[in-house]
Amino acid sequence: MRISWEIGGPQGTGVDTSANIFGAAIAAAGYYIYGNREYYSNIKGRHSYFNLTISDRRARSISSTVDILASFDAETVFQHFQEVKGVIIYHKGVKGTSIERVQSMEPEIQERLTHFLKSKGLGTTVADALKYAESKGVKLIELDYDEIVKKTADAVGVPMSVAERAKNTAAIAASYALLGLRKEYFMDAVKRTFKQETFVKINSIATELVMSTVKPMFQLRELPKTGKRIQVDGNTAVAMGKIYGGLSFQSYYPITPASDESVYIEAHQEVMALDPETGDKRKRPIVVVQAEDELAAINMASGAALTGVRSATATSGPGFSLMAEGIGWAGMNEVPVVITYYIRGGPSTGQPTRTSQADLLFAMNVSHGEFPRIVIASGDHVEAFQDAIWAFNLAERYQTPVIHLVEKAIANAYSIFDVSELKLDSLRAERGKLVESPDGEFKRFKFTEDGISPRVALGKAYVFYTGDEHNEIGHISEDSENRTKMYEKRIRKLDTADKEIPEEERLKVFGDQDAKVAVITWGSPKGSVLDAVEQLESEGTKVQVIQLRMFNPFPKSLTKKLLSGKEAIIDIEGNYEGQAGLVLKLNTGIEPTHHILKWNGRPMAWDEVYTGLKSVLNGQRRVILNGGA
Amino acid sequence: MVVPKVWVPEWNDWCPGCGNFGILNAEQQAITELGLTPEDVVVVSGIGCSGKTPHFFRLPISGVHTLHGRALTFATGIKLSNPELTVIVNGGDGDQLGIGVGHFVSAGRRNVDMLVILHDNGVYGLTKGQASPTLRRGEKTKSLPRPNVNDNVNPIALAISSGFTFVARSYAYDVKHLKELIKMGIKHKGLALIDVLQPCPTYNDIHTKEYFDKRVYKLDSDPSWDPVVRKPEEEGEKMSRAILKSLEWGEKIPIGLFYQNELVPPYEERIASNAPSYKERTPAKTKIEAEGKLLTLLDDILREKEI
Repeated sequence: MRISWEIGGPQGTGVDTSANIFGAAIAAAGYYIYGNREYYSNIKGRHSYFNLTISDRRARSISSTVDILASFDAETVFQHFQEVKGVIIYHKGVKGTSIERVQSMEPEIQERLTHFLKSKGLGTTVADALKYAESKGVKLIELDYDEIVKKTADAVGVPMSVAERAKNTAAIAASYALLGLRKEYFMDAVKRTFKQETFVKINSIATELVMSTVKPMFQLRELPKTGKRIQVDGNTAVAMGKIYGGLSFQSYYPITPASDESVYIEAHQEVMALDPETGDKRKRPIVVVQAEDELAAINMASGAALTGVRSATATSGPGFSLMAEGIGWAGMNEVPVVITYYIRGGPSTGQPTRTSQADLLFAMNVSHGEFPRIVIASGDHVEAFQDAIWAFNLAERYQTPVIHLVEKAIANAYSIFDVSELKLDSLRAERGKLVESPDGEFKRFKFTEDGISPRVALGKAYVFYTGDEHNEIGHISEDSENRTKMYEKRIRKLDTADKEIPEEERLKVFGDQDAKVAVITWGSPKGSVLDAVEQLESEGTKVQVIQLRMFNPFPKSLTKKLLSGKEAIIDIEGNYEGQAGLVLKLNTGIEPTHHILKWNGRPMAWDEVYTGLKSVLNGQRRVILNGGA
Repeated sequence: MVVPKVWVPEWNDWCPGCGNFGILNAEQQAITELGLTPEDVVVVSGIGCSGKTPHFFRLPISGVHTLHGRALTFATGIKLSNPELTVIVNGGDGDQLGIGVGHFVSAGRRNVDMLVILHDNGVYGLTKGQASPTLRRGEKTKSLPRPNVNDNVNPIALAISSGFTFVARSYAYDVKHLKELIKMGIKHKGLALIDVLQPCPTYNDIHTKEYFDKRVYKLDSDPSWDPVVRKPEEEGEKMSRAILKSLEWGEKIPIGLFYQNELVPPYEERIASNAPSYKERTPAKTKIEAEGKLLTLLDDILREKEI
């Protein structure tokens, strides 16, 4: 079962808080949630919205069609009325507002909507948009927010301005009432959110005013909850993973959509840990430095790694471009450093708050010269957590930068899942050839069969690092034979990694092995692809899904084996070029036969992937998705 | 600490007469005289002639030869993860005040307990003598096709206004003077800068040994010169006096300690005030796993997100 709920409003007017209260109430009733947050790169006033999937099992995607739309303003109705299949909750006071009067709406959108409504023989007011929706079978719930705010303010005895946010609560209370769940869950969520008694009162009264007037449309019943569940977004999932994995140093420069991760870690600068000697619980510090730029951020992290600690940075495309220099140094000096790369829309400033998968090839090829860059990509919040630890293990085992790809569509989306899914006890630390007490002369870049040299923390032996080509000691060497050997030694680590890391860990396979059709995908589209394929299967079409999790070293043999004999290989990803498809071709010679691509900055919804797959199965070679306001 | 059995210092490829030799000697003497164990000393450098400094040490220190302009950023990561190390940054004026000037200024704001030795020779030696940030406008050193059109950066004034808490100047050919300042700079609690006037015999035919020899004089030859801030209220006055003094350049060039202020908490103390465990369990001293088992306990963190 899935219900799609959406709430929108101008940024900075409490949309986030409202979505959280609503989500918390639903979660308390035993449901799972997957939520995506869309917002402009602005401070205040532009249209932002949440799209939530409510489900009785772990939800993993959003829908492009909406069952319940909650709105307070005219723009939300305009931006979303075409998506709605169920109910629109709207403000009586904006019915007369016309498109041209909504100044926060971009001219391209105004023009498109005006054209659409006119083509239907309608005018350009909210009432016209609602009329259109109604003609498609959508139910309308009109609320008079002004009256609700006034009544609430009077009842509590505060000025109207203080009770302003009662309208937010009214919108979510109406949404909640439609679901048919017990009121207590909602009231509890309100109480937990607003600690001040006045605000609890304001919101409780607003809730009562609305709930009594809205009849349930969905008959949801309470679900049993077993075990612990958490609700996290992608930034937090990675941060928690890093902390659990032993992160001791993180440097960063503020950038959307990466900085929330570092800010979270800074807020948890001391964490509880076991003291291995005594077995006692003791706090340990995590140093978090807000650097002056991304050049500094990556280099501070590398410097920290040289002292033997687990260190990392987090950034997005523009910052990663600056980090290219430092990542090269880390590659040359075989520094285990982790870079969490939150991909947003590029090139240049691009679309800072919108998602993208366009930086895969850049991540794989960052910085000049040849050196091993290990690149992994998470497809959901549980993976984002686990991969943060995996990244540290890979970095230390192969002594090279590891780039962990997480897109904005995961960073700013959140989901509820059972803590048991994290499999905390199975996650372990692998520190590779880190030598605690060196003995004898220490050659940091010693030639070895697997290319991996023993590593030691600064301060424990006489060691040298240089960005120049160097000899085994770490002193500069331009000797041609040393160059041949040292160059090869560095790169050989990638062959070692390729031999050691089971290919089954580098990709995940879903669906029917015998299917004639295979999908390859990676990152955030995972959930939507799986939901779409499940729907196809229920209709009798078998599709196998390969989720690529590591791009370098690429799981060549397994992909070859899995893809052999397929009649169609459909590449689904969020860029123009089909970059993962290109990587597949480079590594295996196998080329995708079809593409489903999206680059408009919005995450893939499961139903548009489903429709896209249908088109592909009907012979369309390249399907471009464009969903999402 | 294991000193390599066969100790072969790297062959030094600086030009004969280069001021770097004096700087290197002074650094080594200072480390020895302070009784520091070389294992605890990390010499970090950028790119340029000065970048090779760690490789040429005849003491078994560790060396981190980094990127152009970025030495301070690496040094910051090293020092904050392992505050027990003595971290000395060597950078040229092009390195620290040209390509790396953003890091130089930002480092001042943090006041991490490290020493920066600025190899200040007015030219980019390794790339054949282009004008560097400390070369004055109108000056035409040997390989410039035209006189320098840029004004110069004043390292002393910039460091003081950026927040460095120990700011000094010395002269590469006065090894004794430089060595004493290096010792003070290492002992100083906070970020220290020593601007070392350094002739480049190959490319700078203006600021030669002869040029400096007759101009430099020691600040402490004036017994009333007291650059140390001892009370918060002295800060403004001592800071402005030091900056005024740093403008003196011509027939007379002052060397010595311009400004010192240990009342400003180093970054390490600022971390510890947020995370008291940092005082005892620095990142480098804290085990994060035991035989592969992760030691961090996630219960509290998970509880915050429980729903």
